[in-house]
Amino acid sequence: MKCEWVRENITLHVYGELADDARHELEQHVARCADCAAELKAEQKFHALLSQERSAEPTPNLLAASRMKLQEALETAEQGGFWRRLAFDPANWLRQVNFSPALASAILILGFAGGMGTAYKVFDHQPGAPVATTKTPSPAEASITGIQSITQEPGTNQIDIKYNTVSTLETQGSLNDQRIQQLLLFAARNNYNSGVRMDSVDLLTKKPDVLQVRDALIYALQYDTNPGVRLKALDGLGGFVKDDVQVRDAVLQALVSDSNPGVRTEAMRLIEPVKADGSVRGVLMTLAAKDQSQYIKSQARTMLAQLPEID
Amino acid sequence: MGRVGENRDPTRDRMAGQERRIDDTILIREAQHGNRAAFEELVRHYDQAVLRLALHLTGTEHDAQDVYQDAFLKAYKNIGSFRFECSFYTWIYRIVTNLCLDHLRKRNVRKEDAPVVKDGDGGEYDLLDQVPDGRAGANPERDLMRRQLGARISGALEKLTPRERMVFELKHYHGLKLRTVGEILHTTEETAKNTLFRATQKLRGQLADMR
Repeated sequence: MKCEWVRENITLHVYGELADDARHELEQHVARCADCAAELKAEQKFHALLSQERSAEPTPNLLAASRMKLQEALETAEQGGFWRRLAFDPANWLRQVNFSPALASAILILGFAGGMGTAYKVFDHQPGAPVATTKTPSPAEASITGIQSITQEPGTNQIDIKYNTVSTLETQGSLNDQRIQQLLLFAARNNYNSGVRMDSVDLLTKKPDVLQVRDALIYALQYDTNPGVRLKALDGLGGFVKDDVQVRDAVLQALVSDSNPGVRTEAMRLIEPVKADGSVRGVLMTLAAKDQSQYIKSQARTMLAQLPEID
Repeated sequence: MGRVGENRDPTRDRMAGQERRIDDTILIREAQHGNRAAFEELVRHYDQAVLRLALHLTGTEHDAQDVYQDAFLKAYKNIGSFRFECSFYTWIYRIVTNLCLDHLRKRNVRKEDAPVVKDGDGGEYDLLDQVPDGRAGANPERDLMRRQLGARISGALEKLTPRERMVFELKHYHGLKLRTVGEILHTTEETAKNTLFRATQKLRGQLADMR
């Protein structure tokens, strides 16, 4: 039984795929069993025989030609990205909602407030009959976002219209108020008006210890189109560069790829306390070697020079 | 079994891996925003391994180049849907292995015998031998033996099923962990282990007289 087990696992052993305890067991057995020792030797010899052959790398010429051909093809290739992103992002966004109860409830609140289906009945002009009866809010008070259905009751001239409206509501509260926080989180990610995003991110930076707030700030740093908003988000995240790896990665990403020099400079300042970290050091080395900005390049060099050598 | 890398410092390896991951993440995000230069940089991180795999599995430079091109074009077109649920390494290998598996299956259906093809005199030769190999040097006898050995091994590999061949190639010639092989081929590590076992048993049977 033992020999059978060894034979079944000898291939995995030769490829270094056995778990430590199984490897130990196999080695112990092979040391005692001549047949299994011979089998192991044969497997190792066979492994070596196969390894003698076909290890050839593609020639540099083939690699260069392939790269060139690919580059040409990429010139005309279009990324499915734009439309795909439009199609995929809402799904991704909804997935995030799954994991973000606060955001989900904010959307729910807005949904309730805004999307009230209202029946609107219109009567034909009859003497003494009302011209129209509506349920609140009337169309004049709220924007109509869509008509759900139009039906006419058979044999009558009565029309039944169901439509959705969005009406503006107002709420007040302190920053500690859950509802206010949820609306701010929603505004930070979803508002078209960058001024509103700026205001919400500015307020959220006062609560960076709340995880969902930190996520929203990371999101703003990575994706907001307005550099002012990104800079604000950076300010809010600054205190967590040391302890939160996600924050550190986001700041590093901003340092490397943000299009705004101000954001990059601020990111550089923020990573200063963690410059000895392996990932930060790697990024600094890349920046010191080939960044387009002279300032970033020299700052990266200065920081690296202050670090002890790693052997 | 002196595996490459056994003497390397694991801390440094881990750091290098971490750096590469961050580097890749940045490049992927840039590529997702339509930055072609970032995508080309990403290609350079992986294309040698991709080309090697394609060359070994298709057996011809021409087919290998086609697989290489199709794989990276597919990656470029679909990078918008890359969600960082696996590493880019696994993702690109998944694309290229699927293309190679298609290629192997088509070849099996067409009953083509590449990479062993007939020359003008009707004799068979292995196209892989066209890949220059510095090890043979100027020793014609050794060169001939190497060619014969190569032809036998290629013949034995051809007899494996496409999936067995793929697992063997990824494990033996690319040194991937079977867990990664499983991820790439959308299967479990256990299945990858069984497939590797089956493949080596078959190969040992085919090449029994050479041991």
